[in-house]
Amino acid sequence: MPFIVKLQDAQAEFPDYNFIAPLTPSEQKAAFHVQDANGNDLCLKIIAPNYHIDRLQREIQALQSIDHDNVVKLVEYTFSSRPGQQRHYIIEEFIEGNDLTNRLSQGHGWNRVEVADVFAMILDGLGALDARNIVHRDLKPSNIRVRPDGHPVIIDFGLARHIDLPDITRTKDGAAIGTPIYFAPEQFNGTKHDIDPRTDIFAAGVLMYEALVGQHPFWQHGMNMQQLSDAVCNSDGYRHIPTFAALPDRWRLILARMLEKNRAGRPRNAAQVATILRKIRED
Amino acid sequence: MQRGFWHQFGDRSQRLAEEQLAHGNGVGVIISPRDLTYERAVEYAESYRGAGAEILIDQQFYVLRFTNSRLASYPISDYRISVSDLNRLSDHDASRLAASLELINQRIRANAVLAPALTYEAGRPDIDRLNARLFQISQEVGNVLGIPTYATVVLGQSTTSSQANLDSALSRATSLNADGWYYAFEFPPERVPSDADAVYRCCKAGLTLACTGKPVLHGYAGPMALFSMGFGATGSAVGHSQNLWRFARERWAPSNDQGGGGNAPPRFFSTTLWGTIIYPDETALLSPALQSEVLTHSPFSDSVNSNLNWPRWEANKHLIYAIGRAITDISGNPDPRTCAQQAIDRLSSATNLHGRVAATGLNLGDGTNVYQDAWVRALSRLMTDASNDYDYLYLLA
Repeated sequence: MPFIVKLQDAQAEFPDYNFIAPLTPSEQKAAFHVQDANGNDLCLKIIAPNYHIDRLQREIQALQSIDHDNVVKLVEYTFSSRPGQQRHYIIEEFIEGNDLTNRLSQGHGWNRVEVADVFAMILDGLGALDARNIVHRDLKPSNIRVRPDGHPVIIDFGLARHIDLPDITRTKDGAAIGTPIYFAPEQFNGTKHDIDPRTDIFAAGVLMYEALVGQHPFWQHGMNMQQLSDAVCNSDGYRHIPTFAALPDRWRLILARMLEKNRAGRPRNAAQVATILRKIRED
Repeated sequence: MQRGFWHQFGDRSQRLAEEQLAHGNGVGVIISPRDLTYERAVEYAESYRGAGAEILIDQQFYVLRFTNSRLASYPISDYRISVSDLNRLSDHDASRLAASLELINQRIRANAVLAPALTYEAGRPDIDRLNARLFQISQEVGNVLGIPTYATVVLGQSTTSSQANLDSALSRATSLNADGWYYAFEFPPERVPSDADAVYRCCKAGLTLACTGKPVLHGYAGPMALFSMGFGATGSAVGHSQNLWRFARERWAPSNDQGGGGNAPPRFFSTTLWGTIIYPDETALLSPALQSEVLTHSPFSDSVNSNLNWPRWEANKHLIYAIGRAITDISGNPDPRTCAQQAIDRLSSATNLHGRVAATGLNLGDGTNVYQDAWVRALSRLMTDASNDYDYLYLLA
């Protein structure tokens, strides 16, 4: 259930901002496209009151240290307390453009040069998180915005990490927010200690597979949670999809490593993958 | 981490390492506090550095409760306490541990901090957490000193006995954001490991570490140093003593005897047999033609050449020199696949030579012909099964 704040309520609560439009809310936050007094486009996110606030604050501190072109910039985090109401909100830069959802649901693969260029930048962004021991944990098409100039930007990192898994059967084609179809095996069957930057590399591998092959490597329409978990944790059927099998050797190699079930078999860090993608983009 | 042959310290290794480095044998030294006092470690480190070697010090927390007077001379020995006590270290104590680690690494001018770590065991998340914390402490020390931090990955038998346990342990170990790996694999007790499956797992685990793109230093390699580069290691560390030829916890077991091994005859390490043969009892029984093939000489084996008395200590020097030169040759090739093939070729040739020795009716007393063929099978399987790992290493290069 998304956390919804009415536009007029938000406007009343944050009179210093000019509200342009509401953005898609999630279970943890309501989001708005706003402008500050200087006309700068920003994204204002109001955090749901039931969110685990101490973790939020720890992550906010970490994210404030990141200044990377492919990671959304955190401008401000504020806690306000009024009688009867406590509010946590964050202000991020506003990323013009669209997210990857539509691009990845067209049913055909992109050309490899484009995949290499876009995903090398996404992995650069993950590398910046990795360098600060931050794991996104919820990398998915809607959490990657692509600017009009083609530069991808990772958004919403960290906020989804503490959410209980939603029931996938309530989602449509797995494209809805909050579905676990980009989860790594350790997110299905591990403990919190098993989550590390390679968890994000798995999700990036799923996204990259979709971009190259035009379909999801594990998810099929109608699957329930158990079936999806089985596929992610045990199946390598994606290797037999003709479009994948027809990829050049080095592309198949890097994708298969990103999608390894065992974390130890995956690339150790995202920056390595970015370097490799730039190396193989002309293959 | 310098690529090539490293000296793994054991009892009375310090002068041996000095002499070998003077002969151009070795690129680094791993100092063992168990075998050298703090002050002497500082002195010898300076000498090794002068000879061009890299220096590391291994705090050997993987045998946590062992202690002796040499170990006790290091301030960090205060933290050789139980796992549960270590897990309960306060931040203040962690800072003191870090200060001890920083001081010794600073004084010996280490090229990298080797993070203290316990042996990884199956089903021991408490050890995983402790190793992660010890690594974090070590990394802060490395950052202060401006040197890399290598994670210590010593895999105990509970993990090495099955591929599933091994994969699980490696997933946890490689979650550390290390600049390199100091790697050892515990085998079942045996002079030299001869179980092809276990050797395969050892190689596969090493290759997995190498695929992180960080350098791997294969510790306690002994004669297995022959295939370290074949699984992607950057360095391979060898000690003269047989209890350094594989990671063996019995090395740290309390002992009341005087040690020294009695009056055993010297063993000649033959690079063509890739194993030892007893001098002169067995070497003398070889025909002149076989002798010329088996006795691969070094600057420390002149006495053998002249059929003179050959002190055991000279045999140790010869062994280190012989293995070191072979590893240096192999490490000259940067491609792990080629290195693995070179090891296979050498071992196949050794198996053939052992066959010809056995055909004369001579059965080597040390049973040194039992592992070469097993290693060939392990390496051949690795090259087939882990072909993607080799491809990935090539892609990373």
